[in-house]
Amino acid sequence: MSAAEAAGGGGLRAVAVNMLGVVEHPSLGDTPYRVDADGHPYLPVGDGGLVLGVRLGDPVSALAGDHVAPGACLVHPDPAARLALVSYACLGNEVEVRTGRAAGAHGAVIGKRGEDGRLITGFRQEDLARLRPGDEVTVRASGQGWRPPGVPPGAVVMNAGPGLLDALPVSWPGHGPLTVGVRMILPSKVAGNGIGRPAAAWDLDLQLTAGAGGATPAGGAAGVAGAAAGDGRPPGTDGLLLGDLVAVTDLDARHNMGYRRGWLTVGVVVHGTSPLPGHGPGITPLLTGPASALSAAADATGHTGLTESGVGLQ
Amino acid sequence: MNVTTNTPALVRQTLAGEVWPPLGDRHVYRTGPDGQAFALPGMGGMTLGVHCGDPATGYASDHLEPGASVRHRDPGANMALQFLTCVGNAVRVETGPAAGAVGHVIGQHAYVLVDFGRPVAERVTTGDAVTVTAVGQGLVLPDHPGIVVKNCAPGLLARMPGGTRPDGRLGVHVTARIPAEAVGAGAGMVSEYANTDLMGAYAGLGDDLSLGLEGLRIGDLVAVADADHRFGRGYRPGFLTIGVISTGQCMLFGHGPGPSSLMSGPAEAFALVDDPDANLASWLHGDAEPGQ
Repeated sequence: MSAAEAAGGGGLRAVAVNMLGVVEHPSLGDTPYRVDADGHPYLPVGDGGLVLGVRLGDPVSALAGDHVAPGACLVHPDPAARLALVSYACLGNEVEVRTGRAAGAHGAVIGKRGEDGRLITGFRQEDLARLRPGDEVTVRASGQGWRPPGVPPGAVVMNAGPGLLDALPVSWPGHGPLTVGVRMILPSKVAGNGIGRPAAAWDLDLQLTAGAGGATPAGGAAGVAGAAAGDGRPPGTDGLLLGDLVAVTDLDARHNMGYRRGWLTVGVVVHGTSPLPGHGPGITPLLTGPASALSAAADATGHTGLTESGVGLQ
Repeated sequence: MNVTTNTPALVRQTLAGEVWPPLGDRHVYRTGPDGQAFALPGMGGMTLGVHCGDPATGYASDHLEPGASVRHRDPGANMALQFLTCVGNAVRVETGPAAGAVGHVIGQHAYVLVDFGRPVAERVTTGDAVTVTAVGQGLVLPDHPGIVVKNCAPGLLARMPGGTRPDGRLGVHVTARIPAEAVGAGAGMVSEYANTDLMGAYAGLGDDLSLGLEGLRIGDLVAVADADHRFGRGYRPGFLTIGVISTGQCMLFGHGPGPSSLMSGPAEAFALVDDPDANLASWLHGDAEPGQ
């Protein structure tokens, strides 16, 4: 980071903190089953822990699991330390394995999950294959509450490590709103679990129907998927990839996430679908602001969001 | 309600709880929609002066829980208390100066919420033991197989207006229709516990936050559009959920007055009747054990 970058748009320098994350083991209760939206039992596969073979760029709907995230979820055995780990770490932050057969491997934070808190970290597949639940990982947490340069007044940045926005389709010509390229723009009524919770530590699940759903914008022009397309069908998961940027209209995520007319929130897709009612692919919010400070341009076919190369995994 | 039920098959259980204290932490403050710090009462304890039929919003309060907020000390027993207790169930005070008084359940909100008459409420406080006669989970309407009923005492259902119509739909009286955009915290949670906070009812705050829901009253029956609460709480176009407003004013962003879920199913299974009197106060007051 250069000196100019270190002192961000707010004139303050970002602080980095080394934090300890532990690779999570999945956890289930006395019964293996959860209940889906139609009342059918299912066994949740891939809900936390260490998931192999799922990568940024994979379709969210291609996974036979529940909240499947690409890579390793990190936690901490102390609940308060676990919440701090998730609150302070930001997407793009570097991580390094300290123990076990993958010791020395480098990866990056690529998402967060809410409730008890999980930090989603990506590694090269050969490193992931050597990781084991319980392995210790150092997280170089930096960026929360820091204002990067090149962001217009009124737009708020969160959960983004220094330099992350440079790896995303974000542009500001020095006047008017910050413009972000996204896969789709969704109405706030699809916001599910995560609404009413703090965006610094929770993801927001998107209640999308499986498959094609309503028509999505053909590309280029901003529009709201499904509802605004006018065919009456709700937006679907088809075409949505892990790592994609998604915009949600009428959503203010500065503090807790909640409805505010005329606002926009942009986040990165960090995990896959879920059979649970009220759940779905989750976004970790990165940017929020009124329409005067933040706008989104949807490209259903050509969009590229957070990639492995963008966070140094290739 | 003129509808066939399986009420004779329902099991009644005696459950125990106590009025739970309001809880805080050493940082005191939480954060409102505009980032304003606040420290406001409303959740936990015995909240006075707000009863069924009273406005839900317009108070200097956060997560306003009218009446007594009841839990059980044992975590597993508490979840049983929360899941098995239904709106309309009778609750008897066992200890303290109000011992022997009876109120009724108006909803769930991580606590069982109990409305007592005003003279009784004045004498109930944190720590008082209460007994809940729980009945209602497992209630089925055989003529309406698409509709799932939950958290609803059979005695309450019997007193509600409406019922099976010649066209096969279930007539339900409601005071308000809630747009899907209003659904806040509680989405994705199970529907036998807590409730669905409605955004857009922040009395006294900005117009850009309003969804026109500032007129809701405690105890109002409402219909939430595009909500499927049969097996949890999710957005589902074409479905409808009937709930009762059991909590009021919130300052915490993304939260607000909330309905506890009573019925859910495809929208075409219901015939809604707009009725300003569709409030628990119309059906439960003056009877210690309604319909039981």
